Amino acid sequence: MAFRSISRRFGSRLLTYRSSSLASLLHSHATSFGFQEVKEEEKSKLVGNVFTNVASSYDIMNDVMSGGLHRLWKERLVGKLSPFTGMKHLDVAGGTGDVAFRIFDAVNSVKRRALRKVDEESLEETQIYVCDINPNMLNVGKQRAAERGLSDNKSLVWVEGDAEALSFDDNSMDGYTIAFGIRNVTHIEKALAEAYRVLKRGGRFLCLELSHVDIPIFKDVYDLYSFKVIPNLGELIAGDRDSYQYLVESVRRFPPQEKFATMIADVGFEKVEYENLVGGVVAIHSAIKL
Amino acid sequence: MYRTAAKRLLGAGLITNRLLRIRSPKLTSTIIPSSHTSNLCTQSMVNTESPISNQSGPTAASTATGEGTRRKPRPEIQEEQARVLSASLRHVPRLGWTEEAMMAGSRDVGVSPSIVGSFSRKETALVEYFMDECLQLLIDRVDSGLDLQNMIPSERISKLVRIRLEMQVPYMSKWPQALSIQAHPVNVPTSFKQRAMLVDEIWHSVGDGASDLDWYVKRTVLGGVYSTTEIYMLTDDSPEYRDTWAFLDDRVKDAFDLKKSIQEAKYFAQDIGAGVGKSFEGLMNGVMHTMSTRRGGGGSSSTF
Repeated sequence: MAFRSISRRFGSRLLTYRSSSLASLLHSHATSFGFQEVKEEEKSKLVGNVFTNVASSYDIMNDVMSGGLHRLWKERLVGKLSPFTGMKHLDVAGGTGDVAFRIFDAVNSVKRRALRKVDEESLEETQIYVCDINPNMLNVGKQRAAERGLSDNKSLVWVEGDAEALSFDDNSMDGYTIAFGIRNVTHIEKALAEAYRVLKRGGRFLCLELSHVDIPIFKDVYDLYSFKVIPNLGELIAGDRDSYQYLVESVRRFPPQEKFATMIADVGFEKVEYENLVGGVVAIHSAIKL
Repeated sequence: MYRTAAKRLLGAGLITNRLLRIRSPKLTSTIIPSSHTSNLCTQSMVNTESPISNQSGPTAASTATGEGTRRKPRPEIQEEQARVLSASLRHVPRLGWTEEAMMAGSRDVGVSPSIVGSFSRKETALVEYFMDECLQLLIDRVDSGLDLQNMIPSERISKLVRIRLEMQVPYMSKWPQALSIQAHPVNVPTSFKQRAMLVDEIWHSVGDGASDLDWYVKRTVLGGVYSTTEIYMLTDDSPEYRDTWAFLDDRVKDAFDLKKSIQEAKYFAQDIGAGVGKSFEGLMNGVMHTMSTRRGGGGSSSTF
């Protein structure tokens, strides 16, 4: 695997050098696979391989790498969303269903409270769509749903799809979330444009993603942890060092908070804001479509 | 004083308010404090323009650079939020000052209820919007020629407080909830400021131009009168709140009597102070004289 990746690196380096350097600057995210440079067409396949490999131990690895903090981050994301009954929500790259289950729980507990005040319009069906490009991740999600006894529940719908080309109608969603997924998309702008397209007026876009740390000493600690500890954990627990090497590298290649916020605004969203958690290790970007 | 100062600084209020409005996108790194303050400042600006905001023609069209052709002109986020809040008020008597009311309001405007999630403190935003709206309505009533000339000050104050409290009558069944929201520690700074502005506005309309210690005393006293009347109104069952207005008149009268007694106390204190001061001065003169004579008449007598 190492030899193949080295030869790929040499070959693609010649290719990108010949093509205009300006283009590669503009699409640097699209041609980066961690710190490697790859062809655009190849990137989604490579990412697909990563997630096929990690799907089964994805949740455990999340817990170990973040010390369980990822649960709090996702709670915060869903809290910000303020789900309501009758909502149509789309969770993209949400394969194993973490965010979707939380939204489902939030809506159902609110529903119990709100049943006292019956508002006819809110008796519409809540629909939570979980979209993921990787069927292995979706299978893990469906399995978890079965464990909770939700496999027949009509509110949760598992859809296989590409964030850059969603199969949903325009103006059909009240909410759109993408948690730890936008980093893996080849063309971020396309995913953002698709998010804009499917949201209704007043709909909210929320993105939870690993981001850049600027605090002086903490940054070094974080870098040390990322590059020394995580790949080793990946090897130990998931038996796959390379995938986790890709993960930490892709975090560094992702645009920083301000730049990403600009990209969101460029697509047409309003009231673009972001909130740093743990000093910037994780950032929640939010926006509204008007 | 707020309003007179504002008038002096800004000149023609409405026009410069529009110029002062900042265009989106707003990028902030911490959400809760800054988005709330931006909401508050621009909401009051929006309120001054609400009658003409329907043609929401943005003078600067698009949110991003150079992509204006792709997008049709769209309403500003603050205007949209203000419209949602305004529509939500209609649902408050039935649903209370709650998220449900705001969601119903957003459906009326034709916007997804998700937008309610973007208000940083949801029910609070609704209550604060209402308070700002009422203040604006009061200002408009006063500006459009409310006849106050023939009344003595205490009657003028009664009338203005009554006008303001009557705006709350449709929501009376849910007003205790609004008061409790305003009393939350997090919300106290804003609600205090709104009430301070209200009280200042009433005194300004009555024609008060004081700017010394009296200013604070007057506003504090009126604040007290307003709050007690408001609370009295919560439990008043009389037809058209007659008992409340009688209560209000009594309180205003008491306040003016209080004012007189404070004035008297002030004069009394000044007199005493003068007396004590004279004797202190006399004492010091005596001491200095003694010291200079002890030095053998060399130095000149103290003059300080």
